[in-house]
Amino acid sequence: MDLAFSGWSGILILVVYGLIMLGVGIFTYLRNKNIHNSLDEYYLGGRGLGVMVLFFTFFATQYSGNTVVGYPPSAYRQGFEYLVSVPFFIMIIMGYLLFAPRLYKMGKKYKLVTPAQWFEKRYKSKAITILASLLMLYGLGNYLLEQLVAIGQGVSGLTGGTIPYQIGVIFFVAIMIIYGWLGGMRSVAYTDTIQGIALLVGVFMLLIGSIIYFGGLPTSADYMQAYSPEKLGIPDGPGVRNWLSLLVMIGIGAAVYPHAIQRIFSAKSEKTLKRSFSRMAWMPFLTAGVVFVIGIIGISAFPGLSTGESEQLVGKMASAIASQHIIFYWSMILLFGGVIAAIVSTADSILLTFSSIISNDLYGGYINPNASQHKKLLVGKLVGVVVVGILILVAWFPPGTLYEIFVLKFELLIQISPGLILGLYWNWLRRTAVFAGMLAGTLVASFMTLFGASLLGIPSGLWGLLLNTMICIVGSMVMNASAVEEDEAKQVIGM
Amino acid sequence: MSQPKKEPIKNGKIWVVFGVLIALITPWYFPESFGEMLVYGVPLWAIFIIAASLLLSAFLSYVIKYHWMLEEEEEEHEQEGVN
Repeated sequence: MDLAFSGWSGILILVVYGLIMLGVGIFTYLRNKNIHNSLDEYYLGGRGLGVMVLFFTFFATQYSGNTVVGYPPSAYRQGFEYLVSVPFFIMIIMGYLLFAPRLYKMGKKYKLVTPAQWFEKRYKSKAITILASLLMLYGLGNYLLEQLVAIGQGVSGLTGGTIPYQIGVIFFVAIMIIYGWLGGMRSVAYTDTIQGIALLVGVFMLLIGSIIYFGGLPTSADYMQAYSPEKLGIPDGPGVRNWLSLLVMIGIGAAVYPHAIQRIFSAKSEKTLKRSFSRMAWMPFLTAGVVFVIGIIGISAFPGLSTGESEQLVGKMASAIASQHIIFYWSMILLFGGVIAAIVSTADSILLTFSSIISNDLYGGYINPNASQHKKLLVGKLVGVVVVGILILVAWFPPGTLYEIFVLKFELLIQISPGLILGLYWNWLRRTAVFAGMLAGTLVASFMTLFGASLLGIPSGLWGLLLNTMICIVGSMVMNASAVEEDEAKQVIGM
Repeated sequence: MSQPKKEPIKNGKIWVVFGVLIALITPWYFPESFGEMLVYGVPLWAIFIIAASLLLSAFLSYVIKYHWMLEEEEEEHEQEGVN
């Protein structure tokens, strides 16, 4: 992001933004002082989030800074083929319909705080709960690392290097940890609301500015017709396959993100959850759609950028628009504040879920089950801070040769979905089959990704998921011996 | 009057419609010429994809509202009891 002109005004916006977030943390802390003695209160906001807050926390968690900064360059390079980014966000809501209604009911019935707890309740198997927790912790840690790097780059880009990368990371991570620590899920959800609004306003101003100063879609289409007609064309065979793979993988994968699942448990009521999802079903047009159009307009506004240069597209467009008018100058600075806000809002949700799995599933479940809720919470928070510290060190000195390992996140995260979703409905599902499937899927997805193996152009995570699901289903049908297990399952998921 | 409990996953018809909509939001069925015709700078095939995506969102909203009813009534009764 290259917005060098905005040095001190950028710093001002970031400091004001940081102070507002801190204020939200202090406010929620003062209003809910008993929050630090109950996992329910701290991690799920007392299961009382209303429609608007729940909607914005889903929204800000799902759309990270990458949607705004990273998607327009993809649209710039691929043209209309990247329109897939709109329906794939809608598919996530369809993914939720596979399990959210039942999971909300189970969450309420068994007072679940984390997704891993559902595995424990359903399968009563240490092996499954620990494997699922580790997959989630790994995926979440990876995500968090990405967000930390993005915060650093965003801050130094916005202030034209006045605030160096490292200071940016430390400043925002400190603020995020403080407000998260003070108010838990409530702080995170309220700040998500402010962050979501900042992002929406900024993105729309960028769109309006792009249309006014760069001529909008018709100008861009004229340019493409003359110089790169393939960007207007219909995707070819491999393009269509890639399109469909994305729809399926993101539809299922993003819906089972542990931090998204935790929001299902946080809903005040079924009605609230339904309304939030219903609104979310329309958001892709206002977010992914708008940033897609911005990327397409960029094709004629800044023609001929190399892949590396095109990554800076949003910064270049914002700079050009900001220099046209004072209103756009400030709205572009707000946009970049909004981008940082979006990154922080994704990071804080991940951190909260990460800590909850430590507090509840690993420490509270296996290490010290008799600990008080206060102690469990404290351990989760402290481990969270330590992990963030380690991740900052990793972000500081990126280990080049280990890079491939950090690429794995989606591939591993989605391996929890057969156990999570099938287990909600199917009494016959056997715990041995679930464990074997999860392990096999994880191994296949990891090996394929690490060794760069590819088959039919379908992502390695989906191959792992396919194998995983088959082992779950076929394995359970073959092992029909345990009537006890089936009875247990009936009791847990019986309606 | 109490409404029967419903959840989307148990209704096969809903998933047939979702199947059709997924087929419609994937660009496999367009003739070559749809990439050359433009409407306000947007190729015709992309207009179809956007329209199908809008249909998917609309259908999702419909399913969420009318075919998902597990706890709502009980929760409303609970609330009435509290108030």
